[in-house]
Amino acid sequence: MSFDWKTYQPLLIPNIPGLADIKVYEQHGGYVQYKKVLGDQTTWTPEAVTNEVKSSGLRGRGGAGFNTGLKWSFMPKPDGGPRYIAANGDESEPGTFKDRTIFEFNPHSFIEGALIAAYAMRITAVYVYIRGEYRSWIRMMEKAIADAYAAGHIGKNIHGSGFSTDMYVHSGAGAYICGEESSLMESLEGKRGYPRVKPPFPAQRGLWGRPTTINNIETLANVPLILRIGAEAYSQIGAKTHPGPLLYGISGHVNKPGVYEFPSGMPIETLIHEVCGGVKGGKKVKAVIPGGSSTPPLRGDQLAGVCMDSDSLRTAGSMLGTAGMVVMDEDTDLVDVLTRIAHFYHHESCGQCTPCREGTGWLEKTLKKIRRGDGTPRDLELLLDICTQMEGRTICALADAAAWPVRYTITRFREDFEARVKTPVHAHA
Amino acid sequence: MATYVFTAEQLAQIEAIKSRYPSVQSATMPVLWLAQDAFGHVDADVQQLVADTLGLPASHVHGVATFYTQYYKEKKGKHVLDVCTCLSCHISGGYDMLHHLENRLGIKAGETTPDGLFTIQSVECLGACGYAPMMQITNDVFVNELTPEKLDQVIDTLKKGGSPDFEPIGLVNNRETA
Amino acid sequence: MAEIFIDNKRFEYDQPTKVLQFILDQGLDLPHFCYHPALSIPANCRQCYVEAGLPVFDREKNAYELDANGDRVIRWFPKLQTACSLDATDGMVIKTHVTSELVRRGQKDVLEFILINHPLDCPICDQAGECPLQEQTYKYGPEGSRFEHKKVHKPKRIQLGPRVVLDAERCINCTRCVRFTQEISKTHQLTIVQRGDNNYPMTAPGHVFDDPYSMNTVDICPVGALTASDFRFKARVWEMASTPSIDLTNGKGCSVDLWTRDNLVLRITPRFNPAVNGHWMPDSGRAAFATLNHDRVDKPLVRLDGEAIPTSWNNALLTFTERVTAANRIAVVGSPHASTEDNYVFKRFFEAAGKGAAVFVPHVIPGSGDGFLLSDDQAPNATGARLLGLAETQAAALAAEVTAADLVVVLNDDLVGRGVLRAEDLAGKTITFASNHNATTAAADLVVPVTNGAEHVGTYVNVDGRAQRTIPAKETSRTDRRLNLEMSSGRLDTFGTRFDNWVSDLNRIDCVPAWEFLTEASQELGTGLYYESARDVLAEIAARIDAFAGISYERMDDERGIALLATNETVSA
Repeated sequence: MSFDWKTYQPLLIPNIPGLADIKVYEQHGGYVQYKKVLGDQTTWTPEAVTNEVKSSGLRGRGGAGFNTGLKWSFMPKPDGGPRYIAANGDESEPGTFKDRTIFEFNPHSFIEGALIAAYAMRITAVYVYIRGEYRSWIRMMEKAIADAYAAGHIGKNIHGSGFSTDMYVHSGAGAYICGEESSLMESLEGKRGYPRVKPPFPAQRGLWGRPTTINNIETLANVPLILRIGAEAYSQIGAKTHPGPLLYGISGHVNKPGVYEFPSGMPIETLIHEVCGGVKGGKKVKAVIPGGSSTPPLRGDQLAGVCMDSDSLRTAGSMLGTAGMVVMDEDTDLVDVLTRIAHFYHHESCGQCTPCREGTGWLEKTLKKIRRGDGTPRDLELLLDICTQMEGRTICALADAAAWPVRYTITRFREDFEARVKTPVHAHA
Repeated sequence: MATYVFTAEQLAQIEAIKSRYPSVQSATMPVLWLAQDAFGHVDADVQQLVADTLGLPASHVHGVATFYTQYYKEKKGKHVLDVCTCLSCHISGGYDMLHHLENRLGIKAGETTPDGLFTIQSVECLGACGYAPMMQITNDVFVNELTPEKLDQVIDTLKKGGSPDFEPIGLVNNRETA
Repeated sequence: MAEIFIDNKRFEYDQPTKVLQFILDQGLDLPHFCYHPALSIPANCRQCYVEAGLPVFDREKNAYELDANGDRVIRWFPKLQTACSLDATDGMVIKTHVTSELVRRGQKDVLEFILINHPLDCPICDQAGECPLQEQTYKYGPEGSRFEHKKVHKPKRIQLGPRVVLDAERCINCTRCVRFTQEISKTHQLTIVQRGDNNYPMTAPGHVFDDPYSMNTVDICPVGALTASDFRFKARVWEMASTPSIDLTNGKGCSVDLWTRDNLVLRITPRFNPAVNGHWMPDSGRAAFATLNHDRVDKPLVRLDGEAIPTSWNNALLTFTERVTAANRIAVVGSPHASTEDNYVFKRFFEAAGKGAAVFVPHVIPGSGDGFLLSDDQAPNATGARLLGLAETQAAALAAEVTAADLVVVLNDDLVGRGVLRAEDLAGKTITFASNHNATTAAADLVVPVTNGAEHVGTYVNVDGRAQRTIPAKETSRTDRRLNLEMSSGRLDTFGTRFDNWVSDLNRIDCVPAWEFLTEASQELGTGLYYESARDVLAEIAARIDAFAGISYERMDDERGIALLATNETVSA
């Protein structure tokens, strides 16, 4: 990539002091795209907005990476009843901490994007689901939404356009599973966060049985940008099949961890060694989890040329996920790390489907046994078997998310595990 | 058995919460939050109050309260120190921070100091991976980039009745050092 | 007519259906736990995996795409599908464990998962023998366990309510019980608490699972997590025989099974009858098992000097006929609690003897019904008595009649106990047929012990006019299941011997059906009634009374009861 990251000017979260303030946001072109759409509804029909987003190539930033405009187009024709957006700010996948920078530094870009999406899908109310742990950021969003109401951007007959919609914040209360879209809807309905069986899909029967679209916070924050620079220009940013600016959340053993905005498709090695100032203590990279704890880890010696876009990562044997990258140095005990990851999924399984409820605990218990030094080579095969028994066998993808790191950490760092499992005495007989 | 009641002001807030959703059931989580802020926990009696106030089955409220980890189903210390020990915090010394707190306060994770001031918990990812290790205090403010010294300061501040400030993290791409 | 292929066999269907239900409807097997036809579909147990595929349709040719062999090209779903939640669609192709190794593996995997935290305490579990988990593990499960860790511990022996006990460790989180209280009984008393492998069903703290239908959760629990307080550790299911019958404690007349061992009814469970009770029954009807066994009138009783003394059947018959013959005015009181056969012969007996017309007093407690499976009417056969032409009367009128009479004959109805008459109204002039001791038998001079619904064949017409019948489940001193073709018999009845250590004659009650005693009395008096069996009685009823025209035990069995009241037939547009 002939791209100088040092001179990149952020688009999603521009370097403008005080941008979280609605006045500053508006001074810098905020809500202009929204008003443009509302003011010229003959040009900007809901379908035209949807098509613009579709042709921009924007893909969901929550992990699954589905084309956003296409998702919007699945909404059925309005029937006069309520229709909803559930904006997903649950952000609970370990390694992921990007959406909170939008809440903190540029909340109105999200609000404007959500409102444009609401217009495009004739949405009557937007529910912004934010994980309960983000209480500080929930306050920020509540203030920003109140300001947007006060400025007349949300409410009845907005700016005289005839378009009306509402926006509310809903706080989670500690459940990773609620980042799964159907579980998130259950949670919004005031229930235990059990994922729903699909079909029906949310666009058919979503919140309170009505058509609903679930979009990630960062996804919606991209929408004003698309309308500002046009779908064509947007699609030229970053990786062709996964275009646009991307928030990279980089953590672990690097000198300068944090959230960085660059076009999609940044080379992993550039991010680690240049952007983040290299590995702490000048050590080597042992492993990188590219997109949140559920994405398969890559070996340090596997990184050359691998870029943070879905195609490149698929080729390398992983996924972009949420672009929440975790870097681990050469001294990292991967048996220990994997055991801790397995604990996370065991703790967070909702318990609805048998393979996940039972499998996550079994994975953790077996890994703990290996970590203690009581494991046998057979346990490694067992772990892989348990993964096979979980993958693709449940209502939602949590079982897969729990199984993949186990499968790929063991297969890619097998020597670490073999060094820890006892060889049975009779094997040498 | 303690009896809990919502004030008129809280009841008005609950009405406002209910008006945001097409079903009363959706108010379960926000009202549990409101109750926890008011009473410090949502034990069985508070859960019953929430159920009665919203006209929902007590079992429903109980099922929801026990599903979500942030609701305190029993009385906790005045300050709940949620130390993240997940993934990025784990590899950045999260457990060392947890153990430092345990030694400093003389209790184990999951326990409360005899004076009722502190509860320590080891928790899952809090979404601050770039600022690891970190902890959250009583479901509210995040304390980032922990060191034993910083933990001691936080404990001292809390003991004196103060509270750590919200730590802005600096704009992305402009960050100088960790 | 749409078509679906299951394990290479073609089936047709016309109504929208889920694949699992369709497979079960064909009498085929597909293991499952959480699915229940009367409840919502959570698809959480993941046991009913199938491979599913759809034929590829070529729009241009307007025909299914065919391969080189001329077979339809099938596009298979990439993952195993849960048949419970899968809508059948035209042309769908399904592979179950019968034809798919992948499905066999999937089902085995789920069972392995379910069992890792299951206590495997089948030898002390009441569910053993009728446990879907046990059966399906036997048929489809892994041969051993690879789980070598401590199991998750959860609450055990929790008295959830007066009638239901929870062992959370046995629970497999199918949520049937929770869904039952949410969707069927609507008491919302249960929820799943906690998360992940700590999940289990529970009431809210301090709340009691006293749902009037709580024991249905025991029936639908696919493991031994929920057991019935009054049945725990009483019997292994394979020691019992189950007999189809009906609930005689309420006017609704739920279809039930009576579970007997050694001539004791040990429990009563609902039997599926879409026209009456679906899959369910109220707890109150199940409690009746005790009255079927205990406090029974065993041998006739005569009152001498104020004391009830057992007497011979011969003496009872002579006393009865003498008192009837001697009486000038008899109050003839039939019973909404007695069978149609008994009421009919009772009425006919006194008509033939020229001693008065039978009446009956309905047993209705206004407001006690719930609009579901409990009616205000507490008696199983008021409609039957009415259709037979017994005159309906009320307490005051009956009291006047009793006062005027010099003999009162009561057909198995505790009129004193339920407040219709006072004991002193009856003193010195009463004969009653009764199956249990009660306030009325205590006031009677002669008590003729009669069979109850667990011991006789009898027809009962419920509040909605549906005639259903009982089948004898218990032997009396005067019946033998090897000789009486009307009786049900279980495996041990058939294959056991009189010398098996579980066989005891202690639990046989010395009693007869009322119609049988009255037939003998009629012979004694020469009034011409003669019936060999309840079948004879019913045949006569069917022939003589229009409302019962065409009724037979076979029809009641085959049609799950017969609607007798035309007004209750609804005609759909």
